[in-house]
Amino acid sequence: MTLNATDRFRTLAQFMRSLDLQLIGLTKPDLVAAVAATDDWIESNQTSFNTALPQPFRGTASLQFKTLLFCYVAMRRAGRLHADEDG
Amino acid sequence: MATVHVDLDPEAAVILGSTYPQYDRFLGTNFPVSGLRYDASTDEAAFWKIDAAAYGSGNITMVVIWQADNATSGVVRWEGAIAAITPDTDSQDVTTKAFATATTFDDTHLGTTGKRVHQAPITISNLDSVAADDVVWVRVRRIGSNAADTMANDAWLLQARLTYSDT
Repeated sequence: MTLNATDRFRTLAQFMRSLDLQLIGLTKPDLVAAVAATDDWIESNQTSFNTALPQPFRGTASLQFKTLLFCYVAMRRAGRLHADEDG
Repeated sequence: MATVHVDLDPEAAVILGSTYPQYDRFLGTNFPVSGLRYDASTDEAAFWKIDAAAYGSGNITMVVIWQADNATSGVVRWEGAIAAITPDTDSQDVTTKAFATATTFDDTHLGTTGKRVHQAPITISNLDSVAADDVVWVRVRRIGSNAADTMANDAWLLQARLTYSDT
């Protein structure tokens, strides 16, 4: 199930507060559409993501566990996950 | 006839307990740039208390001097309002005093450089019967929740300026 309108708005609000990257001409309506598209994409591709996960992780981990794993990998790719090992 | 100028600096602002802009500064190359950071999503307000010294008549012009955090496009909806009390004359409880109807101004980012300095002129015509030497509370708010406000990050108020006629 996708996020409801309130959750999408709050995701956008916090994203705008936390964002320290250049917006390069993007406005709030542009980001509203991007948040919606990202949420829709996750909804449409969650089965594919789940299928890609190896056993025993796929059969054992909860939906929340898998979602958090996805977020951690994505945050590291975006340079936003600092590990203790990074010093 | 002369024009009276009153500067409202971020350092002199007073805030309520919630929905207020954060005081912050950029460490510029040659000097610090201080300001109030108005959120992009919520309606945040800061307040100043001034003396309407030598106020004569007519509208009060409020100019909001602002910059973006790093956005280079979009619109910021600024709002100005005043509340005036004449000491010894007005019997109003100051703690429950209301602002006169606010006035808004939509200012469009001029592009290219995020931190370029803009000015948004707001003509305040709802004057709350202000008279010379009144105590005047001034509210500057960003209406980040409004659909017309499209700039996607904080708007920094660097200073606000009031001007009015002494005749």
